[in-house]
Amino acid sequence: MISFKNVHYRYEPEGIEALRGVSLEINDHEHVVLIGPNGCGKTTFIQHLNALLLPAVGSVTVDGLDTQQAHNHAKIRTLVGMVFQNPDNQIIGTTVEEDVAFGPENLRLPPAEIRKRVTEALDRAEIGDLSLRNIENLSGGEKRLVAIAGVLAMRPRYIAFDEPTAFLDPAAADRVLEIIDKLRQEGIGIIHITHNMAQAVLAERVVVMNRGIIFLDGTPREIFGKVDELQQIDILLPQVTQILIKLRKSGLPVCTDIVNVDEAVGQIQGLIKKA
Amino acid sequence: MYDTGTFIAGQSLIYKLDPRVKLAFTVTLSIFILWASPLPILFLGVILLLTALTNGITLRTVGQSVKPLLLFIILIFLAHALFASEVEGALFVSYLGISLGGIQGGFIAVWRFLCLIVAAVLLTMTTAPSRLVAAIKYFLHPLKFLRVPVDDIAVMITLALRMMPALLLQKKKIEKAQMARGGELRRFGLWVRAKYFLSLVLGVLLGTFRRADELALAMEARAYARGERTSAVELKIRRVDYLAILLFCLMIIIFMALNLFLS
Repeated sequence: MISFKNVHYRYEPEGIEALRGVSLEINDHEHVVLIGPNGCGKTTFIQHLNALLLPAVGSVTVDGLDTQQAHNHAKIRTLVGMVFQNPDNQIIGTTVEEDVAFGPENLRLPPAEIRKRVTEALDRAEIGDLSLRNIENLSGGEKRLVAIAGVLAMRPRYIAFDEPTAFLDPAAADRVLEIIDKLRQEGIGIIHITHNMAQAVLAERVVVMNRGIIFLDGTPREIFGKVDELQQIDILLPQVTQILIKLRKSGLPVCTDIVNVDEAVGQIQGLIKKA
Repeated sequence: MYDTGTFIAGQSLIYKLDPRVKLAFTVTLSIFILWASPLPILFLGVILLLTALTNGITLRTVGQSVKPLLLFIILIFLAHALFASEVEGALFVSYLGISLGGIQGGFIAVWRFLCLIVAAVLLTMTTAPSRLVAAIKYFLHPLKFLRVPVDDIAVMITLALRMMPALLLQKKKIEKAQMARGGELRRFGLWVRAKYFLSLVLGVLLGTFRRADELALAMEARAYARGERTSAVELKIRRVDYLAILLFCLMIIIFMALNLFLS
């Protein structure tokens, strides 16, 4: 379990607090999506997960290990993997397999074990065929998968994704989301920042951040049912919810706490049958 | 897109050689290229080129590696042509003091330089960067006793190899962004071009610093800490390496004899 207790953080000593008393617990194997307007503290939050940032006040623990203790950092960074927004600034090796080996090499594992982990990670990210390819010749989607494989080679229990589908075309974004879903099914805890509400509704839990605090926390249905609160901070609702709200306003008897396409189709089919 | 010196995966014999052997060959060849007399170097250059061509390196790839150094190559040629120590034979352009001997010297110097480039391209394009870094680390290993941070140097080389093509790509992107806003360099005079060049350099530098910052964070996130690391690469000298060493030594002896005989 990852636990945040009253975490405060600011980048500049006299600057605005990026996190203002964040308390949150993330359970093992949980799929949490983090949403909120730009500059609300989402990235600052996830960088606390593997001790890249340390709380000025409060504490963060990962499976009982306090991030304030420097001797815990190596262990914490194997427990929590981090996939950054821009894979170009995350990939260290020149070829795919070199990059995936970077983490295990830092853990000082024996060469045979490193190679085993590299093969395993490439297979899990479904890019085994790219192992010898030069990073500069890969597509954006492939680079994103290399970044994920690099993290998987550390065999983490949790992975934090900072907008993993940003700048990707729909097909590449779907491929990345499929891999994330597969990892969730394998039991890895997923903490996922997104601005795409269609992705947010797929999570077990949605956490809404605003100005450095946890603004809302609940299941997708609970969160997207709070239309007025979300509108206050300019968060767009999922498209299906927006359609149902408009139908409701036009006088049709539909539920508006629906977040996925299948349920929305069921509602509309019900209306057609009644008519 | 293959940038200068970028590794291209392949299966030929040269790929199978131990990177330490290849690195030692390249260093030996470089010394020989700089030291030997012109005629053996001419033959050696042809052999190097044939080796490159038979190992999947095309003339186009070699050309791509030479292109960024073209200005430097012209300068080398001119330096020899204009400032030949002894003006041999008839003066070619008398008022500039260019002689046929100077031009010949220029061609030889350029040929030596091209040989060095082909040798370097052969090494870097047929050796995965991690294997090359492992070989450098192996040769630097004795310096550990003098407390030289060999592991950190190896990571620095890895990052430099990774970032060089990335920086070239960034330069091209900024260039295009400037062109999109009317900054077509070729259309303007020297002063305007110099100003655009400065803004280009600043753009690349700023981008590089931002990138370095994020890269450092990403390295930390993957448990990087200064000091000792292990490597996925296990270096092993095999039969093919011994055979290559034997052939290489034979070739060097022949060229040494040729050098002695022809000079």
